Amino acid sequence: MKDLKIKISGTSGQGIISSGDILSYATARKGYYVTTYRAFPSEIRGDGKCYYTLRISEHKALTATGSTDILVCLDEDTIYECISSMAPNGILIYDSNLVKELKVERQDIVPYPIPLATIAKSINSERSRNMVALGIVVGILKNLHLEEQILKDIELRYRLKSQEIIDLNKKALNAGVKYVEENLVRKDLFNKAEMKSTGAKLIMSGNEAIGLAALTAGCRFFSGYPITPATEIMEWLAKELPKFGGKMIQCEDEIAAINYALGASYAGVKSMTATSGPGFSLMQEALGLASMAELPVVIADVQRCGPSTGVPTKTEQSDLFAAMYGTHGDCPKIVLAPMDVADCFYQTINAFNFAEQYQVPVIILSDASLGPRRECVDLIDIENIKIVNRQKPDLKEGDVYNRYQDTETGISPITSPGDKYGEHVITGLEHTEANAPTPDPNVHRQMTEKRFRKLETAAGQFSKAKTYGDDDATIGIISWGSTSGPVFEAIDKAAGKGIKVQALYPRTLYPLPTDWIKGFIKNKEVVIVVEANYNAQFKSTIVERCAHINKGMEVLEFLKYDGTPFTPEEIFEEIEKVAKLQEEKNQLSTNKHTHF
Amino acid sequence: MEANDYKGRVKPSWCPGCGNHAVLMALKKAMAELNYQTHETAIVSGIGCSSRFPFFMSTYGFHTIHGRALPVAIGLKQAKPEINVIAVGGDGDGLSIGGNHFIHAGRKNPNITYIMMDNEIYALTKGQCSPTSRQGTITKCNPYAWTADRLNPVLMALSFNASYVARSHSGNIKQVEELILGGLKHKGFSFIHIVSPCVQYNKVSSFEKIKELVRDLPSDHNVEDRANAMKYAFSPEGLYTGVFYKINRPTYEERYQEVIKIAKQNITENYSVKDVMKQFQ
Repeated sequence: MKDLKIKISGTSGQGIISSGDILSYATARKGYYVTTYRAFPSEIRGDGKCYYTLRISEHKALTATGSTDILVCLDEDTIYECISSMAPNGILIYDSNLVKELKVERQDIVPYPIPLATIAKSINSERSRNMVALGIVVGILKNLHLEEQILKDIELRYRLKSQEIIDLNKKALNAGVKYVEENLVRKDLFNKAEMKSTGAKLIMSGNEAIGLAALTAGCRFFSGYPITPATEIMEWLAKELPKFGGKMIQCEDEIAAINYALGASYAGVKSMTATSGPGFSLMQEALGLASMAELPVVIADVQRCGPSTGVPTKTEQSDLFAAMYGTHGDCPKIVLAPMDVADCFYQTINAFNFAEQYQVPVIILSDASLGPRRECVDLIDIENIKIVNRQKPDLKEGDVYNRYQDTETGISPITSPGDKYGEHVITGLEHTEANAPTPDPNVHRQMTEKRFRKLETAAGQFSKAKTYGDDDATIGIISWGSTSGPVFEAIDKAAGKGIKVQALYPRTLYPLPTDWIKGFIKNKEVVIVVEANYNAQFKSTIVERCAHINKGMEVLEFLKYDGTPFTPEEIFEEIEKVAKLQEEKNQLSTNKHTHF
Repeated sequence: MEANDYKGRVKPSWCPGCGNHAVLMALKKAMAELNYQTHETAIVSGIGCSSRFPFFMSTYGFHTIHGRALPVAIGLKQAKPEINVIAVGGDGDGLSIGGNHFIHAGRKNPNITYIMMDNEIYALTKGQCSPTSRQGTITKCNPYAWTADRLNPVLMALSFNASYVARSHSGNIKQVEELILGGLKHKGFSFIHIVSPCVQYNKVSSFEKIKELVRDLPSDHNVEDRANAMKYAFSPEGLYTGVFYKINRPTYEERYQEVIKIAKQNITENYSVKDVMKQFQ
């Protein structure tokens, strides 16, 4: 067995997230690859449903979405909700104290009714049903040898609570494992399931990866306002920044948050904020100020369903237009989108480097499926990460310093309060090279061009767009951000069925890497743009800017906007459909040719 | 340093007779007295007539966007506490669009000075009512009647717990300078309200009328008595000027230094990102 998906589900407050987290840490620490997907309601308790999917594998997997091998349900509702997404021969574990009669029609799965409540009661901890259930899973997957590591992880997770809580959780886990050994008559195929451990790796969430990268890049100031699903970034930095003399400031609103960051950046300190859609809307004006005043700043937008409050805990890729064009005026900025947790780290490093080097705001577009998702990351060589700092002028007494000196690259050396002879005033008004406000038409034209010239300079430095799949394929897929994981897996699946497809994943979305996109579409007959929004935001950008270079090519869209991330299966089905149409079309044109 | 050393590259663009000229001079004099170095000082403003202020100074400056002088100034100060940070702006900028930040500046107590030049009108947009416009003000935007009560900036600052609250009017440059000097010296959030009627668009308020209204706070007023300060701020009898309130309490920056101290308690001296990584292993 190389690959296994476990889904734990239930009602908010039943400990779904805790048990999922503990299991993901333990599997990673045993040396298996793990990636996860968490879905939870906005309510803390109540009858909202929680789902925690883990995919454990020998090789790095790109998504945890898709069919489930082991489904663990702590309530009844989620059984009927999730049963259809189970893989053939999968195991269903549910609480027989709660569900008297299982009304499930699928004959190709193995149901295990387990008296979870009775077992929990027997150790005097009725609230520990989640840990008993985890014990059942660990018992079933005996050959993965997870028990010892999970006990360690229980200790780590609850070390700040009390010894009593640690002991209860451990007891509950042991009781689950014991139940499998003594009472469970095995009918499933996972009895002999084994997996190769592939050595040390890291495990973190997308949000933590952004925080870690910020710290690594030298960010020492973060200002923010709590918002789902981005809050974890500020919580993590609140804990770590002060250890480095840095600061995490909680502000009165998102407008304050970005303006604090701009003040700190003006002071010469690398600064950042993080938010989600509603907060991102509030930040737009200050984003334009950063662009106009040429101040480095990094903004992480962990996207969720919009518009307005939308669905706060569910994912969407619908802030692309807002990121690219949200601010009024001609506003140079850079927009990056990471595809997985490791990429969250490396793209955030890039974000700080670009912001400092080109003195522009840089936006990182993560999303609700990526931010909270915990997954394995290969070891990071932290001491050899390239860090860029802003370029300072060399000034001596009597020098006249022009903050916005027009240069070949568009980049003007920058000073900060505290630097001698570098005094200057920055402003959101159009200004001369000597930073004096002016409405002069020639100056506005010249300075607009200067600011955009920085992006031309930057374009040469952007990480190369990644391609995946067959170079000769005539079917192409373009995707961005977290959607690229399921796309790449769908391509593997298609290759297995003899369908050639190639994917393009541009890491930088703005300025649009038109050269790479044009190069990619040159030899394609059809390109499908896969993204999680209704307006086909990236597709329309590509059609507008790039599609003209291959007029015979068809640009299709495959969209999802229900709040859930793409699965490789649904993308594969779309590929199959398109491939079939393509074949028919080619046949038709061949026939026509013969006919004439 | 001399007041003249703070003269900026740009010539003040305010109307002749505008009270802001006096405030500019008063600030320069107060800064000279404290020997503020131009490279160690930053003036931060929002948008409005008075917010053009930073351009007329030779220090560092940040002319930001409407209403956001305070968050930028507080962020700057927190990031580099050794810089002298002064926020300036008008009544519309600080009480209307930026009102929310004023509240939280008071409660956080950053060690910055905030000078509000209150002309009781939106002047840069050619005369519309502001949150401090007086009853009877008629503008193109309210051509028939006046529709809302005034805000009381001093009372607001007191209730937000600003640790230094003072008021003067731009007709009394000596007092303005004195109060600014007190504000700059004060450790904590100092708010100086300067009534400075617009000579162009304010038809209701004028220097003459303000002069009739003003009176000094009684010499026996205890500046640590906030309730009493509120009473004077609230007084319908006239416009009290002077220091209403002054109290010492830890600044925002000092409090964050405490945070840093606690966070560093259980880590080694050469703690690095490599150590941070351990939580992910």
